[in-house]
Amino acid sequence: MFNNSSKILFITVMIIGTLITVTSNSWLGAWMGLEINLLSFIPLLSDNNNLTSTESSLKYFLTQALASTVLLFSVILLMLKNNFNNEVNESFTSMMIMSSLLLKSGAAPFHFWFPNMMEGLNWMNSLLLMTWQKIAPLMLISYLNIKELLLISVILSVIVGAIGGLNQTSLRKLMSFSSINHLGWMLSSLMISESIWLVYFLFYSFLSFILTFMFNIFKLFHLNQLFSWFINSKILKFTLFMNFLSLGGLPPFLGFLPKWLVIQQLTSCNQYFLLTAMMMSTLITLFFYLRICYSAFMLNYFENNWMMTLNMNNFNMNLYLILTFFSIFGLILISLFFFML
Amino acid sequence: MIMILYWSLPMILFILGLFCFVSNRKHLLSMLLSLEFIVLILFFMLFIYLNMLNYESYFSMMFLTFSVCEGALGLSILVSMIRTHGNDYFQSFNIM
Repeated sequence: MFNNSSKILFITVMIIGTLITVTSNSWLGAWMGLEINLLSFIPLLSDNNNLTSTESSLKYFLTQALASTVLLFSVILLMLKNNFNNEVNESFTSMMIMSSLLLKSGAAPFHFWFPNMMEGLNWMNSLLLMTWQKIAPLMLISYLNIKELLLISVILSVIVGAIGGLNQTSLRKLMSFSSINHLGWMLSSLMISESIWLVYFLFYSFLSFILTFMFNIFKLFHLNQLFSWFINSKILKFTLFMNFLSLGGLPPFLGFLPKWLVIQQLTSCNQYFLLTAMMMSTLITLFFYLRICYSAFMLNYFENNWMMTLNMNNFNMNLYLILTFFSIFGLILISLFFFML
Repeated sequence: MIMILYWSLPMILFILGLFCFVSNRKHLLSMLLSLEFIVLILFFMLFIYLNMLNYESYFSMMFLTFSVCEGALGLSILVSMIRTHGNDYFQSFNIM
């Protein structure tokens, strides 16, 4: 990916588009940044002669173009309201802005394009879609303050992310539903403070980077590949599934930390109903992660008589093991440093 | 009264364009055409707004540039769909 000069160009322009959106001080500038981001992300998606990635880039283009036109329309209405004191209702326009941004980020009432589109991508593009493409819309959502729609979207996102992933056998769909679930948590942390959103986003990006890195190396796309692949290396098997649990947010691992912060802040804001819905549905996501890990964590497991020795000494494996160390022991380390300081 | 005429016409047109966009036609090209229609309505609204505000309408030029880029991107996706599938019918797309 990084030896291809046109891809380097498009990645740079995509990053610039997101930065334009995040740093702009008017809605028109934010719209322009979103457009630049879209225009440079589409060529990254569509590989040559690949049927599914072309379709998913088409799907991404149609939804994002629709969302950005609605965004610009409601921005014009908002400016009209601000400058000419027109009789357009303010909450109506900000609700339209909010829903177009939710469509752009793929949150729950508007999530239908997201898993279908991710089904056609390779792992690097899905990582970009799950993490980087979320920054600009979420940052713009944080500028609006209408709690009701955001609350509905949070509850629907966590529930959809939990229920939708239950019966999936494709790892990409599983990761995309888990991404919708995490998006619900991110939106709820956005209601409280932006710094907690940043912490949550960074931790989520880290964890999903580890998993997609591994999936990309071994070209894993379905669950049955997971069941049969890691039999020959116990370290790889256990660390990969512990990363799964860490992404699901099981307490001794790192993924629990941002959830912990969000839970603390939401309890101090007395948002108990929201918190209960989020935690219960995250329990369901943990259930389907645990069901993947089930066969690997058994004491009695299937073992081959021959050994396919895996080369664990190359750069990718070392990087993976270091990152996995932080993913598994990170919460303990952070707590230790907190008490030592 | 003239304000209502100014703003309600493009709003109605925009909503009609959205209906046309999402109405699940047979061809991809008709979807792209309705997208261009929406973009034209937005240009109309933006132009009226900028004229009222004495912005010297420089933003409408940037809007046109961006929308032309978007239209060209849609057409290039259409071309690549035709290269992989042989047609632009929505019923022949697999994952949609």
